Amino acid sequence: MPPFKDDQIIIIAPGSETTLAQLGLPESFTPARLRVRSRMFAAEKEGEWEPYKIRRRQNKAEEASGGDERLYEEDRVSEEGAVWPIQEGRIVDWSCFFALITHVYNALNPPFHTPILLIAQPVWTPKEHEKLTQFFFEKFKTPAFGLLDAALATSWAYGVHTSTVVDVGKEKVDVTAISEFIPHTQGRVMSLPGCGGEALTQGLLARLKSKGLNREMCEQLKKSPICEILPPDVSLPGTKEASEHAPITNPAAAASTGAPGSGPAAASAIGTAPRGPGVDTEVGDDANAEEAEGVLDVASIVAGGKMNEYLAKKEKEKQEKAAAKKKGNADAAAANAARPIRLPNSKREKVTFLYVDHALLDNLKNMNLGSEKLAEAQSTLDEGPQRKGEEGADGESHSAVEANGTGEHGTATRNGSIRREIEVGTERFMAAEDGVLERIADAVHRTISSVDEVNKRSELWDSLLVCGNGSKVRGFKEALLATIQTKYLISPSSATIFTSEIPSNISTPAGTGTNTPQPQLGPHGGAPAHVNPLLYAATTAQTQHLMPHGTPTPLMPGMSHNQHSSHGQTPTSIKYVKPPEYFPEWKEVGFDESAFLGAQVAAKVIFVVDQGQSKGYMTRPDYNEQGPTAIHDYAL
Amino acid sequence: MNIPNPSTAPVPGEYAGDEVSAIVLDPGYWTTRAGFAGEDVPKSVCPSFYGQLDNDSGAQYLFGENAIHTPTGNLEIKNPWGADGIVEDWDTATKIWEYAITSRLTGAKAGDPAKNGLNDGTNANGDSMDVDIDALDNQEKPLEDSPLLVTEPGWNSAKAREKYIEIAMEEWGAPAFYLQKTGVLAAFASGKASGIIIDVGASHTSVTPVLDGMVLRKGVQKSPLAGNFVSNQTRLVFKQSQPEIPLTPHFMVKSKTPVDAGVPAQAMYKTFGVPPTDSFRRLEEERVLTEFKESVVEVWSGPGRLSNGNNEDISKAMPGRPFEMPDGWNQVFQGERFRPAEGLFDANAALQDADNPRPKDEHTIPRLVQQAVQHVDTDQRPLLLSNIVITGASTLLYKFNDRLSHEINQLYPSTKNRLVAPGTVVERKYAAWIGGSILASLGSFHQLWISRKEYEEHGPGIVEKRCR
Repeated sequence: MPPFKDDQIIIIAPGSETTLAQLGLPESFTPARLRVRSRMFAAEKEGEWEPYKIRRRQNKAEEASGGDERLYEEDRVSEEGAVWPIQEGRIVDWSCFFALITHVYNALNPPFHTPILLIAQPVWTPKEHEKLTQFFFEKFKTPAFGLLDAALATSWAYGVHTSTVVDVGKEKVDVTAISEFIPHTQGRVMSLPGCGGEALTQGLLARLKSKGLNREMCEQLKKSPICEILPPDVSLPGTKEASEHAPITNPAAAASTGAPGSGPAAASAIGTAPRGPGVDTEVGDDANAEEAEGVLDVASIVAGGKMNEYLAKKEKEKQEKAAAKKKGNADAAAANAARPIRLPNSKREKVTFLYVDHALLDNLKNMNLGSEKLAEAQSTLDEGPQRKGEEGADGESHSAVEANGTGEHGTATRNGSIRREIEVGTERFMAAEDGVLERIADAVHRTISSVDEVNKRSELWDSLLVCGNGSKVRGFKEALLATIQTKYLISPSSATIFTSEIPSNISTPAGTGTNTPQPQLGPHGGAPAHVNPLLYAATTAQTQHLMPHGTPTPLMPGMSHNQHSSHGQTPTSIKYVKPPEYFPEWKEVGFDESAFLGAQVAAKVIFVVDQGQSKGYMTRPDYNEQGPTAIHDYAL
Repeated sequence: MNIPNPSTAPVPGEYAGDEVSAIVLDPGYWTTRAGFAGEDVPKSVCPSFYGQLDNDSGAQYLFGENAIHTPTGNLEIKNPWGADGIVEDWDTATKIWEYAITSRLTGAKAGDPAKNGLNDGTNANGDSMDVDIDALDNQEKPLEDSPLLVTEPGWNSAKAREKYIEIAMEEWGAPAFYLQKTGVLAAFASGKASGIIIDVGASHTSVTPVLDGMVLRKGVQKSPLAGNFVSNQTRLVFKQSQPEIPLTPHFMVKSKTPVDAGVPAQAMYKTFGVPPTDSFRRLEEERVLTEFKESVVEVWSGPGRLSNGNNEDISKAMPGRPFEMPDGWNQVFQGERFRPAEGLFDANAALQDADNPRPKDEHTIPRLVQQAVQHVDTDQRPLLLSNIVITGASTLLYKFNDRLSHEINQLYPSTKNRLVAPGTVVERKYAAWIGGSILASLGSFHQLWISRKEYEEHGPGIVEKRCR
């Protein structure tokens, strides 16, 4: 009888950006049910925290009557003034962090007998583990508590015992070499700053700032499928080679994206450009190009008090557009028939994406509009697909646009946020131009080089795992692999081949030495043309000297040297591990959060299957007896 | 777990390694090891190199792996250790060690919410001043609840030893302290109380005779022929090869193209606005050399020296080992790969140039052993020679032990000489730390700690009396 049941187990995975949690293990493992942004808001009282921004709303009637009563409302979308307790994987604000965990715990609303498995960031120190242990036992009175290293969890998810886990987070990257399910703590690269998803956003921002985009826009651009990281050898569209083809093969795209100029001017051709690769391309009018000024920074217009004029203008524009669209639909139908295959994103010079403007919404809310007026302003400003109103769950359009997103925004949009279209050029491919990939590649090289057992290294190179939401950007993983390969791969065409494998034309020497390698190449004078001359030289050199000595021993030290380091130098090949096939729910969404899946597997094993035999968790009696320091004896 | 009653807290002043997690710090030239006593490997292994950026606002120091390997203009890579194997730059060394302890063991002191700096300004002015000072105090003492065991080289000066305890007590606020020599600890790690400890590290090789857990101080020998020496010899091999072998570190290369062996590299190189400094380049080159030492360099296993008879011809006939440089240049190394390490045993065989003079004969490892043994009583020698403990990362050079065994048997043919070399790499590399971890968690060790009270009574001089 296992001590715990599947449906009692809580798993919590805190992250810098998003905290994942789930109560109970389903029959077939699913992605985390509860996703919480890892931030809290300071409450009125110091040291207390609120999960949502509390906005003070003044009710006019009450104000008039001089009543002291103030109304508060929870704003579930806004992130103004939020405190993020985890930065670069480190817990920087403990009271806020504990409040966040408490919020998550309460949101799960667990029954009493629930063990908790917490995914620990690699950068957390043993002392911090103790602190967490104490918190969980004393605050939640949990009957059992376990800590699981995030990198180890990932390797559990993939079911590989030896792997190099590259966890790309928000502001950091962790690289961990794991062999036989034991992480190498010594050479582990923890919390490498400036390499995570945030660095990519900043990379976009650095290039798009001049065009009027702000950080939030870049963040959403990064999450949209049009942002892509190209492998090092692919040229950008719009450079000579690519531009030759683009306009010719796709007249429709040329018509819509060929608007002269770029940046704000082109971006103002609202609704006319293709909305993105996931959605059909529309062809429409370019009439309102004069809108260019300030179109991106609607938030400040609104805040500046010119909202009403702007709203009126916007309304007019929308009507015009609707009219134009009717006309345009006919054109589009015609164009549709003639249109050749659409271009992949990487070949297009300019693409638009939908931007959910939180800042604008914040400003609107701060203006204390009545809820009716607010809704009106919202619908006027919203440039999202028109069908949004009819579509109850507004699922489809968003899942396409925000395939890269965290999914959080899907729910946010439902609360009536404002979407606008922004067009960007080839800058969208330059998110990682600041050497992010190279720094990660260097970290991987450092991590694996510091693994003491030299013979394990080649296996570690052969089983790279990239996870973490920072790696979700399209093309990131492929580009990273390409970067690592161009820099570190020991090319098989070089001399490495001799010692890494015994050439196939030499029989394996037997221990007795009777089976001395025999050269099966041609006579000494002429090496066959197709054989690498070095291969030939090396094999004959070996055997030439073997023969006069009449003993195979000179070769044997060479072989045992190979045992000591199976390949002289690593890596001779670099590969990603294939994600497991047998988690259908995870397969759909991708394995970026595979640490959570690993935790599910681990929880099933340590809490249920092995009935507490493996000491993977600490029980309450253990805690009472030994105190928080004993957690180190129980960690996996 | 020998607390009589789990609900009573241990009496203050009772330093039990089992309960109060003592921290063991084993600083070295290449890496600094730190971890909790009672564990089998140090949790924290940080480079002892640090980066220094000189700005207008003064020098900025960068610690840890992540910081020192990023090519940044003007980043100088330095090391606080002096050429004599004693810490030279105490201020920075303290910071590096503190970094090694706080970054991966204790974490930064978080303090309570009133002190973490986020809630400042909510207090009245006077209050927040007090809080700031408290917080400052708090941050300055990273080790307030952990006794500290530090390792030291056998030749440490009395002044340096006093410095250790001052740092631990004054700057880190450790409640208790002890200093122990690496040689003794390495012997403990192998389960020996007596023996000769041969420790080949990065900057120094030391030979320490230990008898019943005590170092025979006059017998301690050291020499600069160690890992860095082998690296420099490797550089010379590259330099003196025809044509010269270019040594290009990874950070210079953007992408490489496979080329045939021995053909000049065809790689795309990176360009830097501000070129990285020479010291940075040297550190990065060292990474390539480490790889070379791991995968290519071999110690001539003997019998006899490489220069004896036709040994050199035999070595040339041994199968070569290929190596590819970061820029794609590659070659099979045959006879050359025996050269870099030969100098450790045979001063004549060491490659020389203007910067690398011929090493002294008495600095080779066999001579060090010989001199160390000479300082030991004749009747103790067989005991020590049957417990020769090999430690230090540079002893991981391929065939090192075979050669050493041959050399020692040649010196002492009449005794039973036995090498004790831990099999696993971790134990070989971190032997002194592991010994410290064992020692600090022993129940009987508790009485040896120098407590804060004793330090305050007697001053730093107490370390000379108590830690022998």
